[in-house]
Amino acid sequence: MPQFFLNKRLIILLVSIIVLVALIGFSLREREKLSWPEQFIKDTSGWVQSLVSKPTNYVAGFFENLQDLTNTYEENKELKSRIENLASLEAQVQELKKDNEELRDVLGEEKTLRDFEPLPATVIGRNPDRWHEMIIIDKGKLNGIKKNMAVVTANGLIGKVKSVTQFSSTVQLLSSMDPKNRISAVVQGETDIYGLVEGYDDEKKLLMVKAIPSGAKIEKGQKVVTSGLGDIFPQGLMIGKVVEVKQDQYGLNQTALVKPGADFYDIKTVMVTKRSMAQADEKDLTDGKEEGS
Amino acid sequence: MKKFLLPLLFLFLFFLESLFVQYVPADLFGHHQITVPHFLFAALLFLMMFVGMKQGIIYAAIFGLLFDIVYIEIIGIYLFLYPFISYLASKIMNIMQTNFFIAFLVSLFGIALLEVGVYEMDHLIHVTSLDFMKFIRLRLYPTMILNAIFIIVAGYPLKRMFEKYAVTRRDE
Repeated sequence: MPQFFLNKRLIILLVSIIVLVALIGFSLREREKLSWPEQFIKDTSGWVQSLVSKPTNYVAGFFENLQDLTNTYEENKELKSRIENLASLEAQVQELKKDNEELRDVLGEEKTLRDFEPLPATVIGRNPDRWHEMIIIDKGKLNGIKKNMAVVTANGLIGKVKSVTQFSSTVQLLSSMDPKNRISAVVQGETDIYGLVEGYDDEKKLLMVKAIPSGAKIEKGQKVVTSGLGDIFPQGLMIGKVVEVKQDQYGLNQTALVKPGADFYDIKTVMVTKRSMAQADEKDLTDGKEEGS
Repeated sequence: MKKFLLPLLFLFLFFLESLFVQYVPADLFGHHQITVPHFLFAALLFLMMFVGMKQGIIYAAIFGLLFDIVYIEIIGIYLFLYPFISYLASKIMNIMQTNFFIAFLVSLFGIALLEVGVYEMDHLIHVTSLDFMKFIRLRLYPTMILNAIFIIVAGYPLKRMFEKYAVTRRDE
């Protein structure tokens, strides 16, 4: 046994641990973009993945269609009951939209935080080790994707773009823990209550919205959307519904547990949102705190 | 052509893991469990056991680096753990005889070690806040079951293939 720790093996082990720490430190710091060998490897693998994912998508789609067929009758029933409300709702929305446009014309303001250009993309891969929840999509820098853009599905926000290469990009999901990843959110109610989406409960599969002022009254079932204050995301993207509210550790703040609207597991196509309104300057950013009213 | 067979096999497993988590439903063994495929690493351990330690460790380092760059974006975690655990496993194999059952047990042990190692590292750099008991309950059990099934199904063909490969290498 002592022989094991003598001689050059020990030295190799020590050197590799030093290299390991250096490499992790290098890749953990805030990087504007990946180094070119990383980009090259990611692009190549992304190309292979997009080749592989198309046929598998078809096969998976086929089985899903079969499953859907068995549920058709019940789904049809439910959808019919919903469609009755839809017509009146549509008329209302139309009216409101028109109203809004007119008022905006009067004010002379054209762009809002709410406006964004959607950019559809297909998911071609997912991180197999489920610590860092990330997906890879088939649109990259050449399609106009930039770091930190919000990524949504039909049901709501799922994450933001973490890194971009020429032909593919990596999306960090909301369910991954990253202390640097905070999203300003609004709990919709009679008065808007602001908070920060921060962290994910792995066991309950719920998002945590922290830093809500302790006096604020939040009820179960209220909707949580992005506030657009973070200078990155458009306003009004659906995040989820409040399930539970609890006091913070020191009783100064409240934490709301939110059931995400989007499913973080069954993702096939996503939309990357390009915010239309110009971003604030760097120096404004540092002053602008994401605080509640 | 035969030269590229091995890298192609590992590349296939490399992409298979990603496809697996994308298409197989998340709650495979119950509602709150997280199952993680480690097919690539199981095959790497088999390569180490049936072909040779040097080959095994070189492949482990290359694919560890690839895994880090493509999926994790933090270079170092798998680059270090894949070869290190391969090396430990080869030390164990020195005192055991190489048959399928032993290979099965050792690669399962290696996968458990890998999961714990990654957990400890991620805990250190604040990627996860899960405590250890929860980690075992939520991740380790289901992951072990999934990979045991994979090794039972794919282990025997892999063993045959690697043994054949080892023979042709010795002949050259």
